Amino acid sequence: MLSPLPVIERAKPLLGTIVRIRVAGLSPDAAHRAIDSAFAEIGTIHHLMSFHEDDSDVSRLNRDAHANPIEINARTHAVLAQALTLSSITAGAFDVAVAAELVERDVLPRRSDLPATDGDAPWTDIVLLDKSQVRFRKPLWIDLGGIAKGYAVDCAVDFLLETGATQVCVNAGGDLRVAGPDIERVRLAPEFNGLSIPVVELSNGSLASSSGTMAARRCGTATGMPHVAPRNATPTLDQFVSVIAPRCIHADALTKAVMAKGARTHALLARFGARAIVHNLTHGWREIGRPV
Amino acid sequence: MRARFILYPYSALSLIQPAHAEIYLSIEQAQKLMFPGAVFTQTFVTLSETQVSAIEHDSGVDVRDSKVRAWRTSTGGWFIADEVMGKHEFIPFALALDADGRVKGVEILEYRESYGGKIRNPAWRAQFVGKTHGATLELGQDIKNISGATLSSKHITDGVKRLLATYAVALAGH
Repeated sequence: MLSPLPVIERAKPLLGTIVRIRVAGLSPDAAHRAIDSAFAEIGTIHHLMSFHEDDSDVSRLNRDAHANPIEINARTHAVLAQALTLSSITAGAFDVAVAAELVERDVLPRRSDLPATDGDAPWTDIVLLDKSQVRFRKPLWIDLGGIAKGYAVDCAVDFLLETGATQVCVNAGGDLRVAGPDIERVRLAPEFNGLSIPVVELSNGSLASSSGTMAARRCGTATGMPHVAPRNATPTLDQFVSVIAPRCIHADALTKAVMAKGARTHALLARFGARAIVHNLTHGWREIGRPV
Repeated sequence: MRARFILYPYSALSLIQPAHAEIYLSIEQAQKLMFPGAVFTQTFVTLSETQVSAIEHDSGVDVRDSKVRAWRTSTGGWFIADEVMGKHEFIPFALALDADGRVKGVEILEYRESYGGKIRNPAWRAQFVGKTHGATLELGQDIKNISGATLSSKHITDGVKRLLATYAVALAGH
């Protein structure tokens, strides 16, 4: 008879938030080794894609990619490729080249080592070259804060499943992915004290949330990887958005598109097998997209 | 992927616990994970007022507790158990330093999820007593994840900064 394997959960400060990893189906020793490796991978992604750290791929690009092609890690290249695709198909509702505006609004810190940006340089001035090289046509600042957290969660979950874990939950400050047969319940937006408690029951999927109210409130505080607010749309304050998608990278990035465009993102969400749950003061709770 | 969105009335929730605490690691478990095979020598220190001022000056972070719970390891490193104030609750954590005083790792030992001001208020909760119908969900037991709360790790980063200054002022060369 098989002895029951315990559920092992640990947490570390990473990605500007608290990352929790829970696994089942492994012996305690194997679970701790697997969790150590998963945290290490998240740490690597954090260092590569941080806007704040001088030697991150993102900082190297923002400093020099307008002058010379810059070679970056394959992970950063992959995330940047996804970010450019999303910037393109959302017509800038998700915008990877928005960092200058976020610095202007004090959401991201001022960096004296970066070249002055060309105010008109959009994501279309970013050119992905072969061999993990990237060039900017004009000086511009990218920020992967709106997508890297979801990517890191996906990498950790994929790795943990390869180790043989049967149930996995990786939760990076509320952006999370669940894998395995068990249902995970996620409570949305604890700051809305309405008449009921909104809960998503999720299995084998991801969920990420973004709040207009909180994005505004967090200005001036160093919170690591902040939300991307698109420059060609006014983000609605007092709005809460959760996106449910198979992969966390898409859930994370699509919250910004839904925040900016609301119900008009129906087709976009369908493209990623996703749906959204939106709360605002006028309509209360609404679902966008087909139930999955 | 399967997903279902449900609005639970407050009366369907069991709110016996004001907050749910998840214990991840004991001190001993964290020590074994962060310094495998090492032997630990308890080296608790009480900081003097001069040391507290020096640490606050170096780190820019207030020292709440003059007692430092530190262990020296047989590998020359240090293990320090500490806690920081999170959004609503204390978060106990452990810091591992290598023989050169560099950060080797940080582990959160215990985490308490907050349910927001209203839910934590017993008088507010009392209005739902006796209104429960059918199956109930227990916050914390059945719902282990919250999405959409601002959850910064800044207080832990500040705690690590304070402990690095503590190491330099009170532990290095001990």
